[in-house]
Parts: sequence; structure tokens; C-alpha cells
Amino acid sequence: MSTKKPNDPFDSFKRYSEIMEKQINDFIFLLSNNNEFVKMANTGTEANSRYLEMFKKNQEALAGALNIPTRNDLANIASLTIQTEGKIETLEEQIWGLQDTLKTQSKEIETVVEVSKEIIKLTKQLKTELVKTKKELADSKDLQSELQEIKFELNKLNNLKDEVEILKGHVEKDTPKEPVLTGADSTK
Amino acid sequence: MTVDAPFTDLFPPLDYEKEMKRWKHLFQVLNEPEPKIGHTPKTEVWRKNKSVLWHYPAKQKKYEIPLFFVYSLFNKPYILDIAPKASVIEGLTNRGYDVYLLDWGTPGYEDKNIGLDTYIQKYLRTSVKRAIRHSGAQEITLVGYCLGGTIAAIYASIAEEPIKNLIVATVPIDFSTLAGPDKWAEGLRNGDINVDRLVDVYGVIPSSYVEAMFRAVSAPIYFSHYTMLLNRADDQLYVDKWRRMNKWTTDHVSFAGEAFRQLTNDLFKENKLVKGELMIGNKYADLNNIKSNLFVISSTKDNLVLEPQSLPIMDLVSSKDKTYKLVEAGHISLALTGLFAVVVDEWASVRSNPL
Repeated sequence: MSTKKPNDPFDSFKRYSEIMEKQINDFIFLLSNNNEFVKMANTGTEANSRYLEMFKKNQEALAGALNIPTRNDLANIASLTIQTEGKIETLEEQIWGLQDTLKTQSKEIETVVEVSKEIIKLTKQLKTELVKTKKELADSKDLQSELQEIKFELNKLNNLKDEVEILKGHVEKDTPKEPVLTGADSTK
Repeated sequence: MTVDAPFTDLFPPLDYEKEMKRWKHLFQVLNEPEPKIGHTPKTEVWRKNKSVLWHYPAKQKKYEIPLFFVYSLFNKPYILDIAPKASVIEGLTNRGYDVYLLDWGTPGYEDKNIGLDTYIQKYLRTSVKRAIRHSGAQEITLVGYCLGGTIAAIYASIAEEPIKNLIVATVPIDFSTLAGPDKWAEGLRNGDINVDRLVDVYGVIPSSYVEAMFRAVSAPIYFSHYTMLLNRADDQLYVDKWRRMNKWTTDHVSFAGEAFRQLTNDLFKENKLVKGELMIGNKYADLNNIKSNLFVISSTKDNLVLEPQSLPIMDLVSSKDKTYKLVEAGHISLALTGLFAVVVDEWASVRSNPL
């Protein structure tokens, strides 16, 4: 069995490739990091844009003549869809606003209902109290009339008593006194 | 009779098992369909034109304030949810955050007139409103990555919506420093490079041009990733990661013409954001208006957005609670490895109203 470490040819390949990549990029950096390159790149971009612009104009003209829609026409239609989407979104947000207002209002209504319930409860309580008081009042009236009657009866009784007293007085007055025997002949 | 093969001492033996795996995996890379991305469960909350607002619900909600991700206009946002266990979004939903992501979509020719102000006022603002309403939260945390961070900062400076926290990562704010050859930046500033005509003609800058632009700024000739793959192709995990990464790096999106013009002229050329002169609608996007808690993340190995481009935001905002963090990562690896979720959670957990 071999004691040597197995060979991995890709280790060195990787190392060299990294070095090579760095060197190439450094070289490109040196070549491109100057004003001339910048100006040249800009000129190239401008030229590319100019030719593309010309090409597009011709394409538009040709598509117009052939009655074929172009990318611009499709983009315009797509923009309309996006605008509609935006409007729906605004409506949705307005609905949110309404929902929020409704929620706040229903909460307020709930509070009012709660207060009303309390008032109704209190009114019912007061009503019961009132009935009770009325009944008590009626009872007290009955009691008063009974008392009046008793008073009347008592008065009557008092009168009767007075009459009895008077009668008693009369009776006492009319009754003849037993002659009281006095003197010598009292032993007869 | 055995005869020793000549020169055996000169050439060390090959590991045949490793070689078999290497070529098998390479064959897979060349022939298999593209890897699946976007594993985290999500639901669509809102859609307008090509833009979609996605909601990734928290696995077990621990924070009241949701995170709202704004990604760059140059790339697709699936880098934030590229693979299970390495996904930034998955990491955050597992940590208890509700996450929203605004996918700008790929503009078509009909979107040539969409500028930065339209993107911010008609798309970002609306989607933030929708996210707040959908989540039922009173406030929101904005998280911007790369150019998405610039857009998030611009929006935060004019926002009427309740933005409690603003997190920006690898964000270009000060464009006086640019990655790439300095003479190109000089040419752009003094008018030797003018994109107006190009924008007018093309309407929408094709994705291949966007890719070429990034290549030109970072490394015009780029083949070392292939040799790297060849070297490590025996490792299935590496191959999977490579495939996802390669898919994303070559998957640029076209750029709406008007937005490209504004980005080049107002930001790259005149650096208006730092000066407080950038107009969005009828308002000045003055970073001084930002009062939200601010967290700025830069990465040490970022060769696309340099640290001096991000740092000035710290002095430009009015926020009282502001943090700056430099993490050991690259421009893409910060998101690719899922490290971003950990960094965001560390800062946001105490500022997101824990439940």
C-alpha cells in the first residue's frame, strides 16, 4: 500500500486559475482606468443608442404602414391595466377608510347601547320602586282610614263613656238615700 | 512475472473514489434542473403590477413588531430564502418574528417610466401600509439590504407610517466613494459618461447589461468559481451551495429606465442623498428626518459596497438609538450563510415589543 498522499491535480489548477484571473483583471483595470477609455466607452454607447433609435423609428414607421402593433402600443395597453390596478387600490384603501369609520361608529353605538341598557335597567328599577311606593302609599292610606275609623270609634266610645258617666251621675242622683236611724228608738 | 510500471515514483497516486464523486457531481450540475429555492412557507398579501408582498408567518410568534424586508432592485430577493437552514427569513421566523418581503419583480418595457419616487411612494409605502394592516401591529421594522437599504432609508426619511426600527445592511448611502475604477467614477461625475440616451432608447435596461455592469465593476473576467467547483466537486454540500449561489449571481433583473436614470444622475453622479437634495415626489428625502432606532451593518470583505459608503448615515440621521456593526462576511455571504438573521435578531429582539 502506498504511503504517498493522493494526488489532486485540481488543487494546483484552481490556484493557477485564480492567479491568472486576478492578473487578467488587473491588466483590464490598467487598460480601462483612464479618461480615454471612459470617453471611448461613452462614444460607443452613444453610437449604439443612436443606431438603435434610428432602427426603432424605422420599425415604428413600417409597423404603422403595415398596421401592426409595436412594443410601444402593447406597453401603452399594459400601462392602462396598471393604472386601473392603481385605481382599484385607491378604492380598496377608501373602503378600508370606510370600514374603519364604521368600526369606530359601531363601537360608539355599542357604547351608547350599553349606556341605554344601563338607563333602561335603572328606569325599570325606579318603576319597581315606584310601584312599591304606590302600594305602600295605598297601604298607608288604608291604614290612615282605619286609624280614622278607630279614632271615630274611639270618639264614639268616649262619647258613650261620657254618656255613661252622665247616666251614672243621674242614677246616683235619683237613688233615695236609706234613712239612717238615729236616737233612742234605734233598737226597735 | 510482474513488471513495475515506469515513472510510478514521479506521479503520486490518484484517489479514485474522490475522482468518481467529483465527476458524478459535475455531471449532475450540468444536467440536473436548477435547484429549488424559497422553502419557507409564505402567503401573498398584496400584488401590484409585477411587485408582490409576501408574508412569512412566525413559527411561534414572540414579537409584536414584524420585520419588513426591502431588497435591491438589481437582484432577486430569493437570496434571503435560498436554502433550508441557511435562509435568513427562515432563521427569523424560527426566532419568532413575522416577516414581510417586498419582491419588486422584473420590470417590463411598460414600466420604463417607473422612477425611484414611484417605487417608493406607490409600491413601498403601499406595501408597508398593507403589512401593518395585515399584521395588526401598531409599528413596523424596516430591513433594507444593499440598494434596498438605500431605498428603505430614503423612504424612512419621508414616511408618515410608524417605522419603529430601521435596519440597513451593506448599504450605499454616500456615493462619493465608488467601487470600481476611479476614472470611471470621475467620468460619471464630470459628464463624460451619460446614460440618458441609453435609457431613452432601451426604456428598460436589460438584465444582461445589469450583469455586465456589475462584472465590469468587480471582475470583468470571472472563471475561478468554475475551477473552485471542479476542485471541490466531490463534496456534495459544496456543490449544492455552489449551484444555488451560481443561480442567484447570474439571475439579475432588468432595471426600469427612469429609476436607472435617477440612480445614476441623482445618486452616483450628484450624491444628492447625503446632501439632502434628493426629491421624492414633492418632498426632500432628508436623512435628518429619520428618528427611528437605527442599526447599520457593514461587512469586512464587501468589495461592492465599501464601508465608507455606509458609515455616513450614522451622522446624518436624528435617531437617538443608533448602532453600527462590522461583521466578518462578504456582500453576499452575509445573506447566503444566514448570518444576517443572527445579527438582526441580536439587535431587534429587545426593540420589537416581546410578547
